[in-house]
Amino acid sequence: MATVGDAERLIRRGLALSALGLAGLSAVYVLALRFTPVERWQGLAQKVFYLHAPAAWSALLAFSLVGVASAVYLWIRDPRLDRFAESSAEVGIAFSCVMLTTGPIWARPIWGTWWQWEPRLTLSLLLFFLFLGYRALRTTLGDPAERARYSAVVGIMALVLVPFIHLSVYLFRTIHPQPIVLKPSAPSLPSEMLRTLLFSFGVFTVLYLGFVTTRYGLALRRELSGGDDA
Amino acid sequence: MPEPPATGAYMVAGYVVTGVIVVSYAISLWWRAKKEKR
Repeated sequence: MATVGDAERLIRRGLALSALGLAGLSAVYVLALRFTPVERWQGLAQKVFYLHAPAAWSALLAFSLVGVASAVYLWIRDPRLDRFAESSAEVGIAFSCVMLTTGPIWARPIWGTWWQWEPRLTLSLLLFFLFLGYRALRTTLGDPAERARYSAVVGIMALVLVPFIHLSVYLFRTIHPQPIVLKPSAPSLPSEMLRTLLFSFGVFTVLYLGFVTTRYGLALRRELSGGDDA
Repeated sequence: MPEPPATGAYMVAGYVVTGVIVVSYAISLWWRAKKEKR
């Protein structure tokens, strides 16, 4: 049985991990802006990619784990899974905001337009709206068991979109760049650029872990102190 | 060899926006942790 002390411990660990992630993010800025070469055809705008791709990775990781936790919740009805899904969804929305703003900022000088209604962008936006709906659903349902059950169904439905988003560049005609790291063959990037990108992937993963641990601790503490956390 | 295009303003915008979103979310978590403890 979890206690308020456990929740406080989780919050402290989560905040420490988040602080480590933020320090890592400042290191990514220094590494990308100072020690990574400028791409010849795109110029400095290409450096947005060192934040955009890892933010997209963290968002899709967060949303995938919501789906997995939701599916297992419907099977074994463990409230910890619902609490985790709720926390991961909120963190995923935050990373989606980074993904959906940095993408158009990069696209404007490279594609000549802020937005294209092509499969990957459209599906990513749809996924973002689905999780806003997920959050809204959680706040409108009062009964915790009912809320967990209904939101788990939405979480699983959203999970179906994730592989389509990743594979959309292969399945459809699209102007979105092909994957550079997460692809069947070896990464196609000069070593200095690849080093910065992989470091940023690591930092965004640490940020995800820090944020989700803190958010989980907050939800647990509120539940134990008699409040209701949606 | 051609000079890279001048797209530095977009890079700055991307880095500022990311910093604002990530740091704001981290502060909101810290604030909730502090406020709800009282």
